[in-house]
Amino acid sequence: MTDAQLLHAYRIMERSILLDQAVLRLIEEGSARLLLHSGRGQEAIGTGVCAALRDDDMLFYSHRGLIQLLAKGMQAGPLLGDFLGRVDGATKGLGAGIVHAVDPALGLMGSSGTLGGGFVLSAGAALGARKLGDDRVSVHIFGEGSANRGTFHEAANAAALWKLPMVWLCENNGLSVSVAHREATSIEDVADRAAAYGMPSRIVDGQDVEAVYDAMADAVARARAGDGPTLIEAKTLRFRGHYEGDPQTYRSKEDIAAAHQRDPLRITAEKLAARGIGEAQLAALRDEEARAMEVAVQAALASAKPGPDRIYQGLLAESAAA
Amino acid sequence: MSGFKTLSYRAALREALIEELERDPSVFVMGQDAGPFGGVFGVTKGLTEMFGVERVFDTPISEALIVGGGVGAALAGARPVVELQYADFALIAMDEIVNKAAKWRFMHGGGQSVPLVIRAPEGVVGGLGPEHSQSLAQYFWSSFGLKVAMPATPADAKGMLKSAIRDDDPVLFLENKSLYNRRGPVPEGEHLVPLGVASTWRAGSDVTVVAWSRMATVAAKAAEVLAGQGVECEIIDPRGISPFDLDAILASVERTGRLAVVHEGPVTGGLGGELITQVVERRFSALKAAPIRIAGADTYVPQNQDLEGLLTPDADAVTAALATLVQSSR
Ligand SMILES: Cc1ncc(C[n+]2csc(CCOP(=O)(O)OP(=O)(O)O)c2C)c(N)n1
Repeated sequence: MTDAQLLHAYRIMERSILLDQAVLRLIEEGSARLLLHSGRGQEAIGTGVCAALRDDDMLFYSHRGLIQLLAKGMQAGPLLGDFLGRVDGATKGLGAGIVHAVDPALGLMGSSGTLGGGFVLSAGAALGARKLGDDRVSVHIFGEGSANRGTFHEAANAAALWKLPMVWLCENNGLSVSVAHREATSIEDVADRAAAYGMPSRIVDGQDVEAVYDAMADAVARARAGDGPTLIEAKTLRFRGHYEGDPQTYRSKEDIAAAHQRDPLRITAEKLAARGIGEAQLAALRDEEARAMEVAVQAALASAKPGPDRIYQGLLAESAAA
Repeated sequence: MSGFKTLSYRAALREALIEELERDPSVFVMGQDAGPFGGVFGVTKGLTEMFGVERVFDTPISEALIVGGGVGAALAGARPVVELQYADFALIAMDEIVNKAAKWRFMHGGGQSVPLVIRAPEGVVGGLGPEHSQSLAQYFWSSFGLKVAMPATPADAKGMLKSAIRDDDPVLFLENKSLYNRRGPVPEGEHLVPLGVASTWRAGSDVTVVAWSRMATVAAKAAEVLAGQGVECEIIDPRGISPFDLDAILASVERTGRLAVVHEGPVTGGLGGELITQVVERRFSALKAAPIRIAGADTYVPQNQDLEGLLTPDADAVTAALATLVQSSR
């Protein structure tokens, strides 16, 4: 990654952490009733993936995907609006919590609430791009737990068969809510499955944004060239509970502490330092981001709540005008 | 003024696909055996030859991929027409139909479109047994973001499929298998039938008969017989369940004072229960008798064709039920 790309990745990681914190504060203050699946610990993946994408490449993000939305270019404001259920939210006040924000101009295609739903949709989006004769790439980010859905097989088989322009990105944090990967899956590496479909795969350190970016850049180039899909498995760590409020009874304190030893934010800062971008510059960036987040929070709080009609809007094309 | 030509329901559907594939390069067709083989019911016959394998092609046996992939392709800006080999297989792709195709727009704030058509041959015919013969529209009446079309005539089959392909919403297009060979007049030239507008097959003053798909043809036969006995049926084919032309039915019930609903799927949990409730809630005072349902038996479709024949009401059964309804409340 170039210095500018790496610094941008750091900025987005910082923004995502600030967004998580802002949302937690809103929950504590009682302003927001919602579910938050924090992506803390997995920031290097969304940022590394999106750094390798064009604006018009299509991303189906995961339920832990705030960092992915930010990295693809969505502003914090509309996301906060969604968390608060305000009309300035990305879903104009419909959503709250698990994000279902979209922005076609940024290639943000949405997220499936039933896990594994994204496999077939993202393959379909790649198929759609192919049929329209353009060179957009479709990307799906999912957890290793979701990879046990049957949709994985259907989509992987078709994607490889049709050489669809897509990249599969598995965030393997070793946990699916409380269930450890080894309790749910007979193989250590999800990447092993790729061979069964005739698809190349890569395993990368998911805490290392450059490792993710490099693998992603290769996979995107391959997809765009018409050579078909790639499965990338990023080994990563979930710092927080499955959702905010999860007591994490299934996990030892040592395990959680060990996870924090491999913080992608710190690892990225060290990379930047090695390139001569030091703490003073990062501190200034953090200040800037913190101020911007505060402005976004206040703006979201000032935004109106939707009227009762909102629940009937957007069901069908003719009812979409909100 | 252009005239009419006679086409089978199958050929009418095929013409709709050809015309829309020609008109719009973003339309493509995929499904199991829908490519060079032409579909197990022959609707896509010759299309791969005409449009190439990039536009009309086979898929693996992967119903989630067929429907979910169609949703994704639609989100990317294409206009896919996907074929489920049998409508029964919609149950395998229920998440993709109910949670994805129908909800994606709503769930994500309303700013996207899912212009997908899911063609699905349904209905009781030919000894295909309990997993290949269902009439399952009732499962979708509460999928508010999904349109459900059920044409009964060749003209409707063509005009509605063309409308469905141009529609910005996902459409589940249920083709009744026993209608594929049915022949009828289809207007020459561009022919579009709007989705969700009922068709009145016959005007009558004694009873409003709401009948879908194949059952509209059965009800029409019954009405012929009843006309000879002095009972005038008004037959309304709603052409599907969503959007639903309730106004047409309410207006008719106001005139006739009686309502019978005829459909192929089971009585229990079927289309009749919901429709009758909607009418009773709004026009109770107009009714001279309790509305009736004439529908499929509350069991599964047997493979034995003699037994299969007992499953859905025939013209005699519909005639008898309608005669009783009218005569008992005169
Ligand atoms: C089909 C389906 N089953 C179960 C759930 C409930 N659920 C939400 S998140 C989750 C865990 C997912 O684990 P994984 O895919 O590994 O992702 P992670 O949460 O670790 O990022 C579960 C079981 C769901 N949303 N959809």
